[in-house]
Amino acid sequence: MPAQECNHNWTMTNIRGGYIVQETCYRCNSRRIYFSYEDNPPREKYREGEHIWSYFGSDQSVKFDLVCSNCGKLVTFEELAGLMHCFGCTNTDCNLYTLSRICQELDIWVYAALGHLPTTGEIALTVEKLQTLSKFFNDRLKSPGKKILILPSTFSSDPQRCYGEIIRDIGMLEMTEA
Amino acid sequence: MTVSELQKKIGLKALNQIHDKEVDGAYVSDMLSDVMAGAKAGNVWVTIQVHKNIVAVANLVDVSAVIIAGGRVPQDDTLELASKAKITIFSTDLNTFKLVGKLHQAGVTTE
Repeated sequence: MPAQECNHNWTMTNIRGGYIVQETCYRCNSRRIYFSYEDNPPREKYREGEHIWSYFGSDQSVKFDLVCSNCGKLVTFEELAGLMHCFGCTNTDCNLYTLSRICQELDIWVYAALGHLPTTGEIALTVEKLQTLSKFFNDRLKSPGKKILILPSTFSSDPQRCYGEIIRDIGMLEMTEA
Repeated sequence: MTVSELQKKIGLKALNQIHDKEVDGAYVSDMLSDVMAGAKAGNVWVTIQVHKNIVAVANLVDVSAVIIAGGRVPQDDTLELASKAKITIFSTDLNTFKLVGKLHQAGVTTE
């Protein structure tokens, strides 16, 4: 079936393990994350523009792609470093927080897609990819009326200080010392 | 079988309000990333993890309930959040192996 006519039935494929690495800026306390396939990320401080980044911790996680079981179309998500759920915030002006609060009342659960590539740094997922992710998660649901909404992390007013919880395996297995 | 029927059969302790969904199989894992990738909606999820992130994953996958083995109990804010998401959290003193045996005896199977 041609991909453009297909009502895609997405399934996860190419699931690959790695680590979500957190870094904090020594100067401004900003936080950022990236996904690493390596067991030993750099732990020494390094300067990047205004920031001096230092290793803060890491937790196991996975990256994955989605493939349509009907037409075979593959959508890759190499830039998806993780999904984050907003549980509440001290910054009540944050768009992600506001939207999450409104959506929860409608049984719509908001997750932010954290995009990051080593070559570009933080990157927003395209609308098409966010729609694909949302369809994948929504098609799996069984609870009547419940919806999942995947938004770009740019909805967070200050992603570097966001209190959202990134889905990752906390406390399971940190990267080992080099 | 519903979540409350399963509770009675196995003697699980409900840590928040029971949201009576249909149980369709089970998934056993302490790795959230594995649950996100492998669990199916309606599965009852068995884990020893208690941090807040379990709600984010349970909600995303739409599991019927979470059973925390080994007598572990999550903090109140995790239970509060689970209630908002209509996810029942159970606790049991059984270890994971014994719990899974009981689930199987109770008729919870997977494809």
